[in-house]
Formats: sequence, structure tokens, C-alpha cells
Amino acid sequence: MKNVLQWNPPEGLTGVEVIYTVQYFIYGEKKWLGKPECKNISRTYCDLSPETSDYEHQYYAKVMAIWKTNCSKWAETGRFYPYLETQIGPPAVALTIDETSMSIVLTAPEKWKRNPEERSISMQQIYPTLKYNVSVYNTKTNRTWLQCVTNHSLVLPWLEPDTLYCIRVQALIPGPPRLSPPSEKQCVTTLKDQTSAMK
Amino acid sequence: GQEFRFGHCRVQGVELQKLRKAFWTVKDTVQAQDHNTSVRLLRKEILQNVSDAESCYFIRSLLKFYLKTVFKNYYNKTTELQILRSFSTLTNNFIVIISKLQPSEENEMFSIIESAHRQFLHFQGAFKQLDTDAALTKAIGEMDILLTWMEKYYQ
Repeated sequence: MKNVLQWNPPEGLTGVEVIYTVQYFIYGEKKWLGKPECKNISRTYCDLSPETSDYEHQYYAKVMAIWKTNCSKWAETGRFYPYLETQIGPPAVALTIDETSMSIVLTAPEKWKRNPEERSISMQQIYPTLKYNVSVYNTKTNRTWLQCVTNHSLVLPWLEPDTLYCIRVQALIPGPPRLSPPSEKQCVTTLKDQTSAMK
Repeated sequence: GQEFRFGHCRVQGVELQKLRKAFWTVKDTVQAQDHNTSVRLLRKEILQNVSDAESCYFIRSLLKFYLKTVFKNYYNKTTELQILRSFSTLTNNFIVIISKLQPSEENEMFSIIESAHRQFLHFQGAFKQLDTDAALTKAIGEMDILLTWMEKYYQ
């Protein structure tokens, strides 16, 4: 839930020094609030993650451009609802393997936090119905096994020995359904069949 | 398939995702009409104060209000804003949900019913303080909040 306001510079002012000021508003509250770090800035983005960290609230943001002795009207966003509009990152994936089975343990990504010392909140806590799309590609047969799972650990007991498998997983959250980017591709080879090895 | 479990009430045969999609297509149009952003009808504290046991009574009051007051009086606006299809999806599904809610009316439920009703009255009270058109627009615009709260009971 890292929420960054971005905007384009006004047209027709290339080469002119333009600075910007940002304000945000919590729907249902009374006043627009400023963010000191986003007052009179020349960049065209402002990180409002701390200000919008309560994902059950809804927010507006607006930005004004100032150049020479002029200032623009406020450009305002629509109503932003972090709970329904945040994008989610991929899960962490841990694999263990033997001859014909693989165990996959998935860990949901964590919510954005102000600083590392802050308590971690798993996106699983925020979205109890979070699911995972698991993709297992058999490099020998060129076939991919896909499964949508809700629990965070699964065992695939039907693998072939001495075969390279590549795994990718996406997280899926409800609301307007949002699919995370896939996790880093991880490839592992199942062990050789010990019985045939001993002959 | 999935169902709503509002306390002891069960509601099957409603696809929450369909409601989500219906509202999502009209969200920006409707919310842009709401110029009174310093008022939120479905305030966080109202929704957080509804216990699991109260949820069936609360949602019944709320959905009845949406059907009998909000949707009914907002209908003409939907043709003007060209959002009739989404609006119908939401209306029809609310009718189905209400028809399937079977809250227990036994005596020992009285305090729970009372408490649920109090939370609903907070919502209704805020609604009545606004000019009618503004209130209707705001109630429609807050359906993402309502659906998100309902989703917690969808399993």
C-alpha cells in the first residue's frame, strides 16, 4: 500500500521553472491537509503512503503548479480507496523437493510500512480471502500445471524423478480482482529415482 | 460456491464479484457528483461497531433503506448518467439478499437487534442531515464501502 501521487507538468511551460504544492483530504473529515515534504517542490510526484496508510479510509489529493508570479487551479484526484485500489506484490516462495514430490510454502507480501522497526502486517491479514495462482512448468514435457489455492502450503506428490521444474506464483486479492506480478521464477530438479540408481 | 454468513443468517446464490463489477463501472461517475466530501455516511466506527451477531439485522435494515429510499429516488438519475444497467444489477441483487435474510426474532435477540438498529440509525441520521439529492448521491457513492464491509461476511 505504497501510495504515490504523480502528475504531468503543465503544458506550454517547457524551460520555465515550475514548482508544485500538494494537499490531501480524508473523505468524511473537514479540512485539506498539507505535507511539508511536498510543498514548493520541483519533482512531479509525492509519496503520500504515510498519510494514506489507513486503508479503510478514502482519500483525495490535489496539486497546484506555481511559476513566476502565476499559480494554476488545483488539479484533484477522484476518491481513492486504498483497500480496493492498491496493487499487491508477489508472495515469497519456499520449495523443498525429493524424487517425486515438491512442497511449496507461500508467504504473502507485507503491507508498506514507514520504517523497518514498525510492526509488519501481512496482506493476508488485510485480505483474508487472498488466493495464490501457482504455476509449475515441467521442462521435459513442456507442460504447465496451474492451480488457484487459498492455503499457503501445498505438496505436489506426482512429479517425475530427475526432472527440472520451474515455479512461479501470483497473489490474487478480491474487490476488483487484482493479480500481483509473478514471483521470481525458481527452478529445481527432482532427485534421481534411487531404486533404479541401485540396480 | 461462496455465501454470505451474516451472523446466523446465510445467503447463497449471490455473486459478490458481480456487484463489485457493477459498482466499479459507475464509481467515478457517481463519486464525482458528490461535492460534500466532508461527510461520510458509512463511517468506519459505525461499521466497526457492528458485531457478527448484529450483522444480519444491520445489513437487513441497510439494504432495505437502500432499496426503499436510495435506489427508488435515485432511479431517474441513473438514466441521466447512463448507469442503469449497473444500477439494476445492484438493485436486483439487494432484493435477493433481503429475501434470503432470515434473522431470528426471538426475545433473547432483543438487545442485539436494538444495538444493530442503533448503528443503522447513525447512518440514517447522517443521511437525513443532508439535502436529499446530495444524500442520495453520497449513499450510492459509498457502495464500495458497503460492499467491502459485506465482503468480510462472504465465505
